[in-house]
Amino acid sequence: MNVYVNYPSSRGRDGNYILVMLCPFKGEVIYFIVRNFNFTHLTAMSSNQEIHFDEILARYKADPYNYVDMHAIHTGKVRFLLEEGAQVEGASGEWKHKPGTRLYEIDRERNTKVITSKTSGAISSIRSELDGQFVEAGEKLLTIRHPLKKKEIIEAILQEVLYLFEAPERARYYFSMDIQAKIEQKGARSVFIQPGDEIITMSLMKRDTAVYYTGEPGIIHSVYFTPGDSMDQGKPLIGVCAEEKLPLVQKVITRVKAEWE
Amino acid sequence: MSSFIQQIRCHQQVFLDRLAPHSFAPATVQKILAYGAPVGALIEHYEQLNRCMVRLQCLIEKAEQQGRVLEAGTVVLADTLTESSGRFDRVWYAPQGGIWLAMAWPDILLPEFTRFFPFAVGLACCRAVRQYGLDAQLKWVNDILVNGKKLAGILCTSIQSPGGDRYHLIGIGINGNNQTFPGELEYNATSLRVQLSRKIDLAELSGCLLAELRWAIGLLHYDEEQALAAGENCEQGRQSLVLEDWQQLSDTVGQRVEYGFDVQQNPLYQAVAREIDPCGGLVMELEDGARVTEYSGEIIYL
Repeated sequence: MNVYVNYPSSRGRDGNYILVMLCPFKGEVIYFIVRNFNFTHLTAMSSNQEIHFDEILARYKADPYNYVDMHAIHTGKVRFLLEEGAQVEGASGEWKHKPGTRLYEIDRERNTKVITSKTSGAISSIRSELDGQFVEAGEKLLTIRHPLKKKEIIEAILQEVLYLFEAPERARYYFSMDIQAKIEQKGARSVFIQPGDEIITMSLMKRDTAVYYTGEPGIIHSVYFTPGDSMDQGKPLIGVCAEEKLPLVQKVITRVKAEWE
Repeated sequence: MSSFIQQIRCHQQVFLDRLAPHSFAPATVQKILAYGAPVGALIEHYEQLNRCMVRLQCLIEKAEQQGRVLEAGTVVLADTLTESSGRFDRVWYAPQGGIWLAMAWPDILLPEFTRFFPFAVGLACCRAVRQYGLDAQLKWVNDILVNGKKLAGILCTSIQSPGGDRYHLIGIGINGNNQTFPGELEYNATSLRVQLSRKIDLAELSGCLLAELRWAIGLLHYDEEQALAAGENCEQGRQSLVLEDWQQLSDTVGQRVEYGFDVQQNPLYQAVAREIDPCGGLVMELEDGARVTEYSGEIIYL
């Protein structure tokens, strides 16, 4: 039996995951709701499987939103600044220096921090029972429902197909000189990388660290940063695609563009 | 060749003996010095090299081929460098008369303390220069300025050896007895000799620098130990001991600055430096009053 894991966009409103399984005998698709599932060993698998456009598109059409959970950044007493249904905006300004909508305050030892939204949308759920209460670090406090644009949907689907190489730390990133030269010469989608290649330099506090590629071999299909950009830990830096799957990826883009209004 | 190294070691001990005791108890001072003890455990000195860091990388690979790891704190010194460079492949002028040094340190700190490594090295350099009576100041992150001119520069990189061991390589350049600088540096660079109007003993300066590096890197490791015991780090607002000392020697806060990832090639914006956050980030105020915090990149004073 093949297992298809649509991660992370198959994440439901309740924070659980939907595991999609294809029965080889009847060709039926079976959906399972999975709690606390460890996906780490499955991440590479998703890009080796064929793509079921209809299922994916149907899912996005039925629920064209991204659900962003906000968790307590540290222990402390929480006070919500908004109610369920409120519209919120993300950070703005040329340097993203203008904070987004104020979501909640968290106070620890009379040191109060205001946490702002990093995305636009509406508050779809809020744990109002925690208002005024002491919470532990990491406690889920609210969820923002962000309406996806066509471009974001294409990107979300691509991110299910590509191998995503993530930022190891919050830092600024730029391509290694060798990779940058190849990109300038031939374009990113002509640059083949494999595990062990020095592909990126991470710059944090004027310390440059060579970052070595650890994913599956392939070409750099998507670049999610501009050299010198500040990226948060865990954000994808590049999306890598096995060469033989490039036509499939192009098909994803064409199909979504054609079918999405 | 070896006598120069012996002189460095003698001077290093002299400076260690008279290190400012800070507010630490004697047992803590001993602990800090023990953490930093590997600094200069092995010293190589050359009359000329292409780059000290390249020599260190060769030593790392050679050690691996022999089935061992390079000694922590291994230092490579050269009287002149032929292919020295700064960040972004900027030219670094390394003639006779300066201190051109690189050191390897194993990557054993937690990431939240590794971020302070460039601050610790800057602190050590600044303190070494101040031993000569100069009012050296640190510009975020670790440029050493005297009277507004750059007297020393630091390059920090982290590498992975072919065998998978990770090291921090630090390159330090201090303008000692060199007095002339090529065109573009003429108005921005200075040296100890220019500032003091006298020649200095390079073995003494090297020994002093190694003593201060031992203290500062030891302090960083001690800082990590204390933070782990307290269960807090900078993300939770804990003030680092290294950063505390660094701030006392820095004149960055209050300056009007230009910021950029590569500020010489691509300046991004101008702002006023307002504070250094507990994680070492530079908090700057833009013209519209909004504040932005940067954790990498560089500034120039306006």
